[in-house]
Amino acid sequence: MTDAPAIKAINLVKIYQSGGVPVPAVRGIDMRVESGEFVAIMGPSGSGKSTLVHMLGGLDVRTSGEIWIDGTRADTLSESGWALLRRQKVGFVFQFFNLVANMTVADNVELPALLGGVSPRQARERREYLLGELGLTERAAAAPAQLSGGEQQRVALARALANQPRLLLADEPTGNLDSRNTKDVLRLLSDVHRKGQTIVLVTHDARVASMADRVVSLLDGQIVDDGALPRTRRRPLGTVGDVVELRG
Amino acid sequence: MRAELRWIRADLRARRGQALLTILTVAGIVTALVTAATLLEDGTNPWRGLFTRGHGAHIWIHTKDTPDVVSLQGLDGVADIAGPYRSAPATLTGHGRKVPIALQETPAAFQAVARPLLREGRWLDVRDPDAVVVERSFARALGLRPGSPFPVTGLNGASHTLIVAGVAESGDQGFYPDWAPGLVWTLAGTLNVVEPAPGRTETVIGLRLADPDDTDLVVQRAVTALDNQVQRVSTWREVRASMELDNRLLGLLLALFGVAGLVAAALALANATGGRVLGQVRDIATLKSLGFTRGQVTRTLVAEHGVLGVFGIVVGLVAGRLITAYALPDTVVVPLSSGPFAAIALGTGLVVLGSVWLPAWRGGRTPPIPATPAAPPRGHLSRLARVALLVRLPPALVLGARDAFTRRTHALLTVSGVAIPMMMISIGLGSWATLDEFIRHPERVGQAAALTVRPGDLSADEARGRAAADPDVAALYPGAELDALVPWQTRTVRTRALGLSADPYPFPVVEGRIFRDRGEAVAGQGLLDLLGVHVGDRVRMTIGGTPLIVRIVGRVVEPEQDGEVLSFGLDSLAAKDAEPPQFYSLVLRSGADPAEVRDRLHDRALEVAQVVNPADRLSIIRLIIVALVVVLALIGLANLLTASALGLRDHAPDLAVLKAMGLTPRQVMATLVTGTGLLAVSGVVIGTVAGASLSTALIDLEGRESGVGAGIGRAPTPGMLVASVLVAVGASLLVTLIPARRAARARVPHSAR
Amino acid sequence: MRLPLLALLAKEPAHGYELKHALEKTFGSAYPSPNIGQIYVTLGRLEKDGYVRAVDVEQSNRPNKKVYYLTAAGREALENWVDEPTEGPRVRDEFFMKLVLAPLTGIADRMALVNRQRRHYLSLMRDLNELAEQTDPGNRVALLLIEGAMLHLQADLDWLERCQEELP
Repeated sequence: MTDAPAIKAINLVKIYQSGGVPVPAVRGIDMRVESGEFVAIMGPSGSGKSTLVHMLGGLDVRTSGEIWIDGTRADTLSESGWALLRRQKVGFVFQFFNLVANMTVADNVELPALLGGVSPRQARERREYLLGELGLTERAAAAPAQLSGGEQQRVALARALANQPRLLLADEPTGNLDSRNTKDVLRLLSDVHRKGQTIVLVTHDARVASMADRVVSLLDGQIVDDGALPRTRRRPLGTVGDVVELRG
Repeated sequence: MRAELRWIRADLRARRGQALLTILTVAGIVTALVTAATLLEDGTNPWRGLFTRGHGAHIWIHTKDTPDVVSLQGLDGVADIAGPYRSAPATLTGHGRKVPIALQETPAAFQAVARPLLREGRWLDVRDPDAVVVERSFARALGLRPGSPFPVTGLNGASHTLIVAGVAESGDQGFYPDWAPGLVWTLAGTLNVVEPAPGRTETVIGLRLADPDDTDLVVQRAVTALDNQVQRVSTWREVRASMELDNRLLGLLLALFGVAGLVAAALALANATGGRVLGQVRDIATLKSLGFTRGQVTRTLVAEHGVLGVFGIVVGLVAGRLITAYALPDTVVVPLSSGPFAAIALGTGLVVLGSVWLPAWRGGRTPPIPATPAAPPRGHLSRLARVALLVRLPPALVLGARDAFTRRTHALLTVSGVAIPMMMISIGLGSWATLDEFIRHPERVGQAAALTVRPGDLSADEARGRAAADPDVAALYPGAELDALVPWQTRTVRTRALGLSADPYPFPVVEGRIFRDRGEAVAGQGLLDLLGVHVGDRVRMTIGGTPLIVRIVGRVVEPEQDGEVLSFGLDSLAAKDAEPPQFYSLVLRSGADPAEVRDRLHDRALEVAQVVNPADRLSIIRLIIVALVVVLALIGLANLLTASALGLRDHAPDLAVLKAMGLTPRQVMATLVTGTGLLAVSGVVIGTVAGASLSTALIDLEGRESGVGAGIGRAPTPGMLVASVLVAVGASLLVTLIPARRAARARVPHSAR
Repeated sequence: MRLPLLALLAKEPAHGYELKHALEKTFGSAYPSPNIGQIYVTLGRLEKDGYVRAVDVEQSNRPNKKVYYLTAAGREALENWVDEPTEGPRVRDEFFMKLVLAPLTGIADRMALVNRQRRHYLSLMRDLNELAEQTDPGNRVALLLIEGAMLHLQADLDWLERCQEELP
C-alpha cells in the first residue's frame, strides 16, 4: 500500500474533562498527509496543535473520529497496540528533548532500535551512522546533561529516526533552542525530508514552518488554512529589502 | 528484552547508593529471619546439633552378646557402625542415696561415629583407670562436676571409688531424668573391674545410616539379621522427641517478628520503588512515546527493583548462614534445615515482588506525553499550616507545615513508612518487657517454686525434713505428676497434683479461682482447648485405672507442656498415687539464689532439679528483638530518606524562589526539616501508640494460641517507650537534616521545565 | 544612501565604482545592489551640499576619473548621524488597513486576508532561508542582516496571529 497516505485523520475530536466541564481542544479535523510530505502545523497557543500531533502519534486518546496511519486504522488500537505501532512507524521529537537522563547518548539512540527487535550490532551500526550524520560521533559516550540544548535535540532527532519510521512527528522541536541551534536542527530536518522522510511538525517558528511543503493553521481546534506555500519569487533571488529597508 | 536491559542497567548505574540501600535492607531482614529461625530450631531441638556434631548413630541395638558386626555392616542402608560396646548396669551410691546408672565402655580415642561431646573436664585416659565421663544432664541433676567422687556399686555388691574426669553431651540418648538410667562412659578396663561377669553385661552397637528415612526398614533388617539376640532398639526419632522442647510460644513470637520484618521490608521496598518511579515519570513517559507498552514498563520496573530485592535475599541468606556458622559457633551447631530456609527465601521473594509490583504498575500507567513535567499539586494552606500561622510560628515552620501535607498519598506513605517499623519496635519492646516479667516474677507464670526435690531412695518424710531445714526454703509443697487418660482421646495429658486443697500451691490464676476442695482443679489454656471445656466444667479422666472426676474452677498461666496440664491438690488423687509424694516443690525466700540452695541440698544427698524459667528458654528472642529493632530502625530511616529526597525534588524550584524572597539558608533548612520532620514525628507517635496498645493484646493472643494462656503480656514500660520515641524522633530529624542542609547550601538553579 | 557613502569616504577617498564595490562586499547579496548611476547622483548632491569634494585624476589611456574626499562639513554630518538614535522599524500598516477596512466593505473575508498574508510571509521566509543558505558563512554582516529580516518576519507573523485571534 505504497500509495496510501502516511496519515489520514477524519473528523478528529478531542474533548478534555476539566473539573466535570468538557473542554474541547480539537474540534473535528480532517487531514491527509501524503508519504514524503512535510507538513507544518501552526496556530496560537491553545489552538490544539500539540493535542493534534499527540493524537496522531497515539500519545493521547482521541474522543471521536478516525486516524489512519500508512493505510491501517489506528484510532481503535489499544495503548499497547499504539506502542507497537510507534516502535515501527512513528518517531517523536519533543520540545524539551526528553532524552533519558540516565543513559548515554549512544544508549538513547540505540534504545528504539533495540526495542524494535534489532540485534545489538545492527543497533550500534545504525547509531554510529546517525550520530555521524549529525556530527555527534565524539559525544556518543556523554550523558545528555553534558550536552547543549542543540546537541540534545539533535540526539533526540537521531533517536526518532533510529528505526527509519514512516512518520516523524515533532512538537515544537525548536521551541527551546536559540537561533543558532535552531538553524542546525532545521538543516537536519530539511536533509531528512529531502531523503523522503514524511514529517508532521507543530511549530511556532516561521523559519521552521517555511521549510514545509504545506502549512496547516489551526484556530480554536479547527483548521482555518491548509495549503502549499506560494512561490512568490519576483526576482531570481529575493533580498532582505523586501522586509527591511536600510534608511538612507 | 535488550532495550529493557539497557534501561535497567543505566538506571541502576545512576543510583548505586540507593540500590545498595535497598539490597542492604532486604538482606538485613533476611539475615535476621535466617538467624532467628536457626536459633529457634537449635534452641528448641538440641538433638540436631548434638547428633550432627557427634556424628551420631541413628539406631542403637542392645544385645546380650556381641552381635555379628559384619552382617550388620553389610545391611543395606548402613553407612557406618559405632561399637560394639559393652554396657553394664550399676548403682551410684553416696550421701545415702542410690541412683541407677548405665556404665558404657568407650575407647580412649574419640571414635568416628557417635562420639560424646566433651563439655567440661577431660576425656578418659588409659593412665587413669578410675576416671569416668558423665552425661551432662545426668551430671547436672546430681550436681556432679569434674573432680567429684563417683562411688559405684556393681551388681555383685562391690564398691569402687571412681572420679568424674569430664562431663560430655551426646545425641545418642535423651536427657536425664526423662531418659534413665544415667549414662556414664568408662574405659573397657574400668568396666571389667566394676562388672567382671560378662553374663551380666549387654552389648550396644550403633548404626549410622546413609538415609535417616530408612530407619524403620534397617531396624527390621537388623532384628532379622540378629535373630533373637536383640533385647532393645532405640532410634534417633525417640531421642529427638525426648529432647524437643515445647516451642509453640517461641515459634509464635518469632513468627510475629518475621511477619513484622516482612511488612517493614515490603514497605521499604514499595517506598523506595515508588519514590524512584515518581522521580522518573518523565523518562517513563519518554520510553512510552518511543514504543514501550504499559506492560513492558511495568515488567521492566518490577525486574529492576525485583532484582535488587532478590539480590538482597541471596545476600541475606548467605549472610545468615555465615553468621550462624561463624559468629555464633557456640550456640548454633547445625545450619538451618532446608525447609524453613526455602520458606524464608520464597516468602521474602514473594513479598519483594508484591511490594515492587504496585508502584511498578502505577509507573506503567504513566501517560506517554512527556512534555508535561510532574509538578507537585500546589495545595492551599493545610489546616495544620493555618493553625501554625495563627499561633504565630516562624515563617519557616509555617511553610514546612504547608509542605508536609500537600501530597496526600505521599504524606500517608511516609507516615506509615515510619509508623509501621515504630509499631513493630514497640511490640518488640513489649515482648522484652514480658520476658523481664517472667524473670522478675516467675510466680506469675506458674513458677513460684524454683526447685523441686525428689526423694530418690530416701523416704519422702526424710527428704521433706532435709529440704525444709534449709533456711532459704520458704514453703514446700508435695506433688506428683501423672499421665491421665482422657475419654475419647487417644493420648494422655499431664496431671499435676501439687499442694493440698487446704494449702494450694500458688498457681497464677488468671480466670476463675484456685481450687479449694477435693475434686476441684485448675487447668492451662492448652488443656481447655484440647478438651473443649471451659472454666466451671467437669472433666473425667482415669489415672492408672482409677477414675478421677474434677471440676475446673480456674485457668492458670501454664508454661509447661504447651499448657496441656491439669493441676489439683494432692488430696484429690487416690491414695495409691498420692502417697508418698513423688517430689516436693520448694518456694524460696525472696532474694535467695536457687543455684546456691540447690548445691546445699545436693550436699544433703537430695536429688534437686532447678526449674527452667520459660524466659531462659526464650532468651534467644532477646537477641532477635535487638536485631529486628536495628533492622526496623534502619528501614524506617531509609523510608524517611526516600521521602525527604522526594520532598526535595518537589521543592527544588520553590527553594530558589524562597531564597530570592529573602529566606536565609537556615530558614530554608528549617522549612525542609519541618516538612519531612512533621511527618516523621507523627509517624513515630502513631506507631508507638499503636504498638504499645497492641503489644499486650498480641502477646496475650500468642500466649493463648501457644496454650500458655492469656495473661502473660506486658506493655513496654513508659521509660522504654519515652526513650524509644526520643531516639526515633532524634534520628529521623537527623536524617532529614542531612539532605536539607545540602539543599539549603547549594545554589539552586532555575531548572528549565 | 547619503550617509553610508559618507561613512565609506571617511575611511578613505574613493571614486564611484569603488564605493559600489565596497557596498556590495560589505553587505553581500542580502542587500539590494546599488545602481551606479544612483551613486553618482547621490555623490553629486553631496558635493553640492559641501559634504564631499571631487578631484579629477588623470588616467593614461582612459578618461579622467573623479576621486571624492570627505570635507569637514561632511565629517560633521556623519558624526551627527552616528550620534543620534535610529528610528525603529515602522509597522506594516498597509496590511492592517486592509484587514480593518476591507471586511466593512464586504469585498473580502478577514480570515482569507490573514491566511493569504501568512502564506506570503512564509514564502518570504523561505526565500530568506534559501538566501541564508547561499550566503558565504564567513560573511557575518550579511548573515546578521538576513537574521534581522527573519526576526522581523517572525514578529509580523506573531502579530498576524494576534489579529486573527482578536478581530472577529
